[in-house]
Formats: sequence, C-alpha cells, structure tokens
Amino acid sequence: MGLSYKVRLILVCIGIFVMVVLGFFFKTLLIPDSFGVYGPFRADAIDEIVEIPIRHGTNDSCFKCHPYEAKIHKAGLHKTISCEFCHGTYADHVADGKKTGVLPVKTGEQITTLCLRCHNTEIKARSEKVIKTVAMPDHLRDQHVKLSHNCSQCHNVHAPLKYINRAKQITGLMEKGQ
Amino acid sequence: MKIKDPSPDMKKRSFLKNVLNGTVAGCLYLVYPMGADSFEIPEQIPGIRNKPYDIYDQEFAFVVDITRCIGCGSCCVADKREFNVPDGNYRTWVERYVKGFSDRIYVDCPNGGLDGYQSPRTDIKEKIRDTFFVPKLCNMCREAPCVQVCPVGATFTSPDGFVLVDDKRCVGCAYCIQACPYSARFINPETRVVEKCTWCYNRVRKGLLPACVQVCPTGARKFGSLKDENSEVYKILKGPGVLTVLKKEMGTWPALYYKGARREVV
Repeated sequence: MGLSYKVRLILVCIGIFVMVVLGFFFKTLLIPDSFGVYGPFRADAIDEIVEIPIRHGTNDSCFKCHPYEAKIHKAGLHKTISCEFCHGTYADHVADGKKTGVLPVKTGEQITTLCLRCHNTEIKARSEKVIKTVAMPDHLRDQHVKLSHNCSQCHNVHAPLKYINRAKQITGLMEKGQ
Repeated sequence: MKIKDPSPDMKKRSFLKNVLNGTVAGCLYLVYPMGADSFEIPEQIPGIRNKPYDIYDQEFAFVVDITRCIGCGSCCVADKREFNVPDGNYRTWVERYVKGFSDRIYVDCPNGGLDGYQSPRTDIKEKIRDTFFVPKLCNMCREAPCVQVCPVGATFTSPDGFVLVDDKRCVGCAYCIQACPYSARFINPETRVVEKCTWCYNRVRKGLLPACVQVCPTGARKFGSLKDENSEVYKILKGPGVLTVLKKEMGTWPALYYKGARREVV
C-alpha cells in the first residue's frame, strides 16, 4: 500500500473517533432518560406505577351515599367487613363522582355459601377469639328451624344479631340497650 | 387623557363583570365532577398526602398475623379485583397448612384461596393436630434475588424499599420467577411481562392501605410506616412478640413479618 505512516495514523484516529461518536449516539438512543437517577433502573417507572388508578375505596366511601346501610353496618358485629368484598369494587360503581354500574347483591343460597366461607366450624382453623363459627346443619337443628333455611332468614347480613337482639328485647329475654 | 375619577358607569360595569365571573366559577365548581380519586377517601397512612414524598426517607413493613387469619379469602378477591389479575395467577394467596400427629405437613391452596375454604380436607388419613392459614405475598426483600438476576434492569428496589417491576422494560425472560424463593412472581398471559405484588404501591403513595389490608375483616394483615412511631406495625416490631420471616436462611431480609407462624411455615 502506498499510504504513509502519518496517513495511516490519522485514519486510525478518525476510525476511533467515529466509533466513539457512534457509541455515544447508540448509548443515548438505547438508554432511557431517567435511567440511573436512583439506581440501575428507569426512575420514571416508579411514577408510572404510582399513576395506576385505584379500584378499592373504603367503607366510608360507600357510606357517603348509603346512610341506611351505613347505620346498620356500623352498629353490627360485621363492621370490619369491607362492603366491596360482597358487592364489588368502588371503581365498578362510581366514576367521576357519578354512578356507572349496579353492584351485585347476594341472595338466597349465595348468602349461605358466603357466610360459611368464614363461619364454618368444620375447617377447625378458626380461633373462637377471632370469629364465631357454626357447624351446618347442626346449627339449624339446634335453633329448631327448617333445614332449608338460609342464614339471612334470621341474621341480617350487615349486622348479624340485629333481628335476634330485637326479638330478645320484645320477648323480655334481654334488656334494651344491652 | 387620564381618568382620575371613574364614573359610576365604570364601577357598575366592573361590578357586573365580577358578579358574572363569580357565578360562572361557582356553577363550574358545582358541576365539575370531583372524580373518584383518592382525595375522596380519608387518609389511612398518616404523613404521606399533601406532603413532599422524600423517597429516601421511608420505611414500610407488612405484618401478617397467622393466629387471626380465618382463610376467608377477602384479600385474594380484593387483590384480583384491584389489579384485574388474570385467572390462574395470584399476586397474593392464602395457603392452608394441616399438621398431623406424625408431624407430617399437608399444604393445599385451591384456586389461591379465591373461593375461600368451604370444606375441610378429607384425604388425610391420620389424626389432625393443627390447622392454620398462611397468607402469602411478595416479601419485599431488602436483598432481593429477583433484582439481582434481572438482565435488563426491569425489576428494581425503589429507594423507599419496594421491589417493583418496570413493565415497559421487562422482556419476560422469567429469570426472576426462578430466582424468587417465595414464588411471588408470574408472567401475565395478556401483557407477557412479569407481574408481582407491589404492596399496592399506587395506593400507598396516595396515603391508602394496600387493598388486602383494607378488606381484611380480622386484622390479620397489617401495613404501616416504620417512620411513624404511632403506627400499629411500628408498635408490633418494637414490641416483644415473636416475629418470623420466611426462608431466613436465604438471606433475603424480607420486610414481611409473620406473627404466630409455626416453624413448619415456609
């Protein structure tokens, strides 16, 4: 080759320079902007996760528009149960302050299944300190009712002892306010 | 020409303008939808809302009280609804542990506990010593194995201690699924990227409790900030009660603590 030492040196230098420029170009192209703000990850991802809309409210968000249910629910033993567990999420019901959908209400046999989800003694893993459990159908027999009865025929689902305490008050078995 | 004393006409005009502006603004304020956003819901984790969030000065912990869990599966249902988790995948689930008198352990988890536990196990021949439920979720390890193996930096530990997944960066290679000792991760069949429990990071940053903690009827799941000395979690961690973590020998240093867990729980 007829190239002199100097020309070849310049060519090599130009080659290195071009590769460095290309390298930086592709690096900026491939690495996201917020990469490395907090560590070796895209910091914007944190904000994106924060922006995920929430779907569950609290019981108070339901009680705002349902004062009748609120009064019963808050007074009963089931006050710690979330409305949304049985009825579906707040986001399915309300959007932008307006009602968008009707939430399901459990009826008949569904209620018994729902009750026994927690109140079944058979499971033998539920502490009496935490939850009162019953064995079915022994409970129906003990209470002298038909075996075809659903739980909701004696127990208000929102306040399980509401009707029972009221009946006791009427028959004089229990003082009012007890 | 300079008007020094505005005529009564000018005053009237400005007055009418103000009245009109006020009326329009007032009407807009009443008509404009306030939105079903977090501001309607009272704050549950104090000290997050209406304050600049210092991401370096946060510490959160999750406590699961096994002695209070009744296996109702509310948490699983809430979790599925909150994030529209596809069927067959679980961000959180509740396992049933049955211990026989021979010290043998039987674990089952039908449909991740989504349907609750309606009936006892009938396939165990020996006498049963103990039965209990163990809710499982992401352990938010301080030394997370999933973060170490991710080849593209899609899984990371945020400075406030949450192990999160960047769904735009994830390539779905599933290394992290194999690395996770707690099986908390899965590939979402719809988006083809890895998903996991985030302790509802989107809710926590809005001052709300995670959905599963929110719906738990017995208070078996507790979540709170360790920077807040009045939080329930702080008091539990400071108190004398025995807390355990899962798979301590893995050296993952989880921020998820179990209260009342038998040593058989893994």
